Amino acid sequence: MFSGNGPFAWFKWEALFTDWRLFASGFGYTILLSVCALLLALFIGIIVGICSTSQSKILRGIMRVYVEFFQNTPLLVQIFVLYNGLPFLGVVLSVTTIGVVGVGVYHGAYIAEVVRSGIGSISKGQLEAAYSQGFTYWQAMAYIIIPQARRVIMPPLTMQAVNLIKNTSMIAIISGADIIFTAKSWSSTNMYYGPAFVLAGLLYFILCFPLTRAAKKMELKAQEHAPGMIREHAA
Amino acid sequence: MIRIEGVNKHFGKLHVLKNINLHIKKGEKLVVIGPSGSGKSTLIRCMNFLEKPSSGRVIVDGVELTAPKAPIAKVRQNVAMVFQSFNLYPHKTVLENLTLAPIKVQGVDKKQAEESALMYLDRVGLLSKAHNYPTQLSGGQQQRVAIARALNMHPKAILFDEPTSALDPEMIQEVLDVMVGLSHDNITMVVVTHEMGFARQVADRVIFMDEGEIMEEGSPEHFFTNPTNERTKLFLSKILR
Repeated sequence: MFSGNGPFAWFKWEALFTDWRLFASGFGYTILLSVCALLLALFIGIIVGICSTSQSKILRGIMRVYVEFFQNTPLLVQIFVLYNGLPFLGVVLSVTTIGVVGVGVYHGAYIAEVVRSGIGSISKGQLEAAYSQGFTYWQAMAYIIIPQARRVIMPPLTMQAVNLIKNTSMIAIISGADIIFTAKSWSSTNMYYGPAFVLAGLLYFILCFPLTRAAKKMELKAQEHAPGMIREHAA
Repeated sequence: MIRIEGVNKHFGKLHVLKNINLHIKKGEKLVVIGPSGSGKSTLIRCMNFLEKPSSGRVIVDGVELTAPKAPIAKVRQNVAMVFQSFNLYPHKTVLENLTLAPIKVQGVDKKQAEESALMYLDRVGLLSKAHNYPTQLSGGQQQRVAIARALNMHPKAILFDEPTSALDPEMIQEVLDVMVGLSHDNITMVVVTHEMGFARQVADRVIFMDEGEIMEEGSPEHFFTNPTNERTKLFLSKILR
């Protein structure tokens, strides 16, 4: 396998290392896309998540439609629509913009659910205590509810970041020059698929593994604090 | 100070408050008693609009809360509440629990808020716990902190919603002692409780509720020596053994 003309033959690796700059730029592009999409997803997710717990039925309804739509249709289809559908409406977005918007809005829906359930885990008495002291809904969220919900929210939120990073690879189908697209285009000319995709996988692993570890750590920490943090209504 | 006019409250099919009329004077100490499910907690929660009446009017400190666009958050700053389950903010220290709302809601200077907070903590006997977190305190201590938190808003009235019902028996007295101390002030107090000794000692007026209605009201002497309503008699005979 590693000798002669096998899929992982040494000379194929050599070719890969010679072209390392190509992969480095693909890696950089994936990071750029991930960071921008994550910022957008966090922005959307936190606002939608908080609105999903508001008292207004209409507001909750609108947020529900958004979340259900993006959770129940494939990201691939959404990116296709942005790429092939929007130009019919006279809107032509750059591939990078499509990547950021597509992935950001898609994961915004998931993050909204994480935020919503995190807020839901805080006892109702906390909001009532805040109201009774004259806090408004948004003040109560900012000073009392969100700081407590943060511990519950952070671990699943970090896992969402991991999923988001992996899902930026969807941009390859519309020729965004990320890790996957680089691996595919480089190997389609010389047929050295083996090393190219092993490296691609490794690059994603480098990005995602530390985050997964961090999530695990935060989860343990959150559990340690849980008995005191989440106080059930006394009987 | 607090005026309730023809208030009804429905929870689905349940009619929990039936045409309640009540006027609480400034500085009055009103104790509300009655069996569980009688609507007394719902009534006290209507007074700061944590519960919205289905019909009727609630007027607090001259402001009609039931009016559209009423400045509810503003009125709540003057009407503090002490809950059965304390509801201290667990991510804040005791001192921060007392100063958060004064600083963020009332715009009080931090230093000034802390000074008065320490004074109130001293008053409830917990000055030494200022920098602890609520979970490091016993139930009785937490409730005393909750009372100090209410006081640090400098409210005109405090609503107590069964403040000792979630406490172990040996901790009830320390909380009641603080409340008795408070009753010497000019502050308006509305207390939902099962503590009849406290009612007798502190109340200017006692009301007895059952099935969403005020069945009987009067002075503590009237209540505990000569109640007229049959259901009041029955309730008191069960609770005063």
